[in-house]
Amino acid sequence: MLGSRGRSRSVDLRALADEELMGLVRDGEVGAFEVIFDRHASAAFSLAYRMCGRRPAAEDIVQDAFLSLWRSGTGYDPRRGSVRSWVLSVVHNRAVDAMRRVGAKAGRDVPDEGIADRLPAAERTDLEVERRDDTRQVRSALDELPPDQRRVIELAYFGGFTHAEIAEMLDLPPGTVKGRMRLGLTKMRYVLGEESRVTV
Amino acid sequence: MTGEDRIANGHRCGEDAAAYVLGALAPDEVQAFRAHLAECAACQKEVAEFEQIIGALPESGPRYQVPKDLRRRVMSEVRATPKAQAAPRRTPARSWRPALAWGGAFAAIAIIAVVLVVALGSGGSSTTTIQASTGSAELRIAGGRGDLIVHRLPQLPPGRIYEMWVQRGTAAPTPTGTLFAVTSGGTAAVGVPGSLSGISAVMVTQEPAGGTPAPTTAPVIVARLT
Repeated sequence: MLGSRGRSRSVDLRALADEELMGLVRDGEVGAFEVIFDRHASAAFSLAYRMCGRRPAAEDIVQDAFLSLWRSGTGYDPRRGSVRSWVLSVVHNRAVDAMRRVGAKAGRDVPDEGIADRLPAAERTDLEVERRDDTRQVRSALDELPPDQRRVIELAYFGGFTHAEIAEMLDLPPGTVKGRMRLGLTKMRYVLGEESRVTV
Repeated sequence: MTGEDRIANGHRCGEDAAAYVLGALAPDEVQAFRAHLAECAACQKEVAEFEQIIGALPESGPRYQVPKDLRRRVMSEVRATPKAQAAPRRTPARSWRPALAWGGAFAAIAIIAVVLVVALGSGGSSTTTIQASTGSAELRIAGGRGDLIVHRLPQLPPGRIYEMWVQRGTAAPTPTGTLFAVTSGGTAAVGVPGSLSGISAVMVTQEPAGGTPAPTTAPVIVARLT
């Protein structure tokens, strides 16, 4: 157990698993937090940026989420998933909250992939390479959906819209929107189940 | 919909599971679906399967490099936060202040806006509401899980946020990781993470944005579970 701060300094923090690092973060170990940040900040920023479409807003959300992790790291429960999924869940929830606070539809557009301040793709670490196949499969499963199903899933998850808002936006009955969501997720589940390689 | 869908408790099975995991249901629809979910094995299975897909969605988009300024700002803030204040220590003696001292600290400054006393049944559903001068709150319990719905709470200024805590017995409260803001009408609906088993109280305080490892203000909501 790496409960001793002095002992933790004698080991290579970057060789530790996230769950071990979180124990050190709870003890206030800045170095452990820095490793956690470096491992997951790119995914967190990418998600926030995709949802908000604005770099300053995405930076605020990611900063807020990681400072929350530092201040309240005890909120992480390894029984409920990985550190990465927890971080991304916090970022997603905060992005949705931020977009709903803004309220106006103009502030909640799904980002334009051609937006001017899009950043260059990050150099991938070994861990990123390990996740690359899974990411590609999820992207592929989403892309394979009929456009009307993919659209409602993206508007809900990345846009933070409710099914009623989406129905109004697309001029569809609410039941149709929920039906498309279900069909889309069912197809994705089938495709990814066939691949049997999704890890979260 | 599929031909195998059935209706349970007035809910068409499968109708809302996808919208629920996508976060696309309105707060009142979430409460209704969770009540249904607690008693419907088919929907529990579908939600569990969909949640695996949802868990993978965050990484389905393009990857962007973290702005260097962002990393510098976060690490600067972290280094400026004294370790003793960063988080409770894992050693029990260091983690928790004595319950009496904690209660006393609150008693000195507390003006509790809303206090609920909720009987925690054995797996059934219940909703308890209380009105107070500064707002009202409901704690809805179904299947051993709880949802807190607040109304007419004040919107907080920039840099402040509501934080939810749980208390076990008379120990000091622990953060749930749930931070939330209220609408312009003072409303919010938030789930209490995890099971309510062993929880003696659910509380809400006003804290700095990002949350804190221990409450720094008196609770504005206390839901006591008996």
